[in-house]
Amino acid sequence: MSEPVTNLWSVPLLVMIPIFTAIIVNFLYNRTRAIRFISIGAALAVFAIAVVSPYGLHWFAGHPAVNADGTYTFTASIFSWKLSLEYYYGPLQQILIALMSLLLLFVVVIATKSLSKNYGPYIAIVFLTYVSAAAILMANDFYNLWIAVELGSLLVAGLVASSGTSYAQKAALKYTFFSALAGSGLAISLGLILGITGYVNITDAITFLMTNDLGGMYAVLYVAFAFLALAWIYAGGLIPVHPLKSDVYRSAFPHATVLLQTQSKLMLVAIGIVLLRMFGPLPFAREVMLSISVLTMIIGIVMALIQTDFRWILAYIIVSHSGLVTVGLSLGTYQGVVGGLFQAVNDIVYMSILLLCCEMLLYFGKGTSIKFNGGIAKKSPWLAAFVILGAFAASGIPPFNGFQSELIIIQAALAEGLPEVAAVVLMVSISTFIALFRAIYSIFLKPGDPSPAGQPEAKGFTMPPTVFLFLSVLLAISFVLGVYPQLALGFLTESALKVVFVPWVP
Amino acid sequence: MGSIDSLYDRVKRYLAGFFTGEGSTDAITGYSSGELQMAVFLLVLAAMFRVFMIPLGIVLILVTSIMIVYFAPIIRTVDRENSSDLNRVLFWVIIYFSIILAVTLWGR
Repeated sequence: MSEPVTNLWSVPLLVMIPIFTAIIVNFLYNRTRAIRFISIGAALAVFAIAVVSPYGLHWFAGHPAVNADGTYTFTASIFSWKLSLEYYYGPLQQILIALMSLLLLFVVVIATKSLSKNYGPYIAIVFLTYVSAAAILMANDFYNLWIAVELGSLLVAGLVASSGTSYAQKAALKYTFFSALAGSGLAISLGLILGITGYVNITDAITFLMTNDLGGMYAVLYVAFAFLALAWIYAGGLIPVHPLKSDVYRSAFPHATVLLQTQSKLMLVAIGIVLLRMFGPLPFAREVMLSISVLTMIIGIVMALIQTDFRWILAYIIVSHSGLVTVGLSLGTYQGVVGGLFQAVNDIVYMSILLLCCEMLLYFGKGTSIKFNGGIAKKSPWLAAFVILGAFAASGIPPFNGFQSELIIIQAALAEGLPEVAAVVLMVSISTFIALFRAIYSIFLKPGDPSPAGQPEAKGFTMPPTVFLFLSVLLAISFVLGVYPQLALGFLTESALKVVFVPWVP
Repeated sequence: MGSIDSLYDRVKRYLAGFFTGEGSTDAITGYSSGELQMAVFLLVLAAMFRVFMIPLGIVLILVTSIMIVYFAPIIRTVDRENSSDLNRVLFWVIIYFSIILAVTLWGR
């Protein structure tokens, strides 16, 4: 029998390459070509590592684990107490980090083309945001989880503030203010769990809870759950923190929002899985998670319906669909968790399509308000095609990917005897279509203002070839996952099985 | 006389509620869709209480229906409460946190 690897080579590379890249591009500051070359190379490197890496664990600092008989071991076993900070790289981590690496590449290419100054610090923040999300997803101990969430929050604020508008800086400041609250919540949760179990390693803490009776100390575990749930709400932008998160999404450059929404989904998945593994068996824990998720879905989509700017609509749809991801996870069943994880993958893909289309509207200099636009489909038919197909995917229309994951979540809700939840998922799906097509009609399909008499018809808009390529790749992924969902499900089922049936295994 | 005026005023207020104030849109489509969405969602939420007791679900659906009609348009309230003003968000976070704690401890 082969022992699980505890010094997996890829894990430190996935963390250190982006950190070193961030340091180098920060020093290079405004040297466009060098920054572009290094950042694209680094993004390609992390993508390649994520794709080819085997699965296993990495124990930082080289500390061994302690066996039950007091001897030391460097091989992973669930019945040994880990002294080191532990990262796990499995199929779930692989698909999500590979997808994020691909998006990192797109974001870096677009950012180095579209920005006119301060390349270095901006690209550095982009890479560090990537690291924070990857670390959150791989961490199997509360201490690393806490650090990564704290770092991620500050980097989100940095990325938003970099867009330069006063509105963005205000949104970043508000978000940072709340990070103090949620970060402290996670730290308190960590402290309480450490206090009652003696371990910060999630596997060890769960094993302790399963083999020991806490007696009267169970109340402390509930308080730890509440604080960790608070951090989950904050990190993922769920209700009631969603106004701050939607401000963040709509204030950043759309290409930055691609990475921000990916980071949020990864945080939701990572912390959601920890909540399920650690507190899933507690009475009302999953019900609390489900209530928050359903409320987020509804309030998010209702707010999207009443916006008049495409960026704002997308911001609220991202919030609403975060609820869709967490509904699946909160159901806590195998099918529900698979649906939630698959929804996270799909959501990242189709929202990226829509956000890149939004970026193109700004590139064309037309703005994103639905009041003062029109006729873009005539000037840029390809962009109109991409945005319409992206909207189909987001609305859960076959043969695109959104349909498959929403179907699994609906089936999971029905199987759990919760047709009301299934009905709400359907409502969100239909309302997403209404909200998006209200904007798409006004901006793209409605005839634009006619040219003044005597003047030639305005020329069409040409998309940069790189953005055309990125949109084509994302649309192809959306279509392939819609037609052949097993391609992604193969990476997700193992994690779902572990979360539901053997929660102590990372 | 008074009752007719009151009904007229109420209908007028209901319709004006969609257009006036600091609405994000001057079009009624978004607000009316949002209003319907909220109303249906509240009814679905009330129906979920059938999990505990079916008569409770029925009573709650009836009570919710009456409250929806009385407090309409709800979307304006949702819009107002959705502000990213720090004080408001902090207030709601405290409320949610208290509910989470109370429910989990009570469930024990």
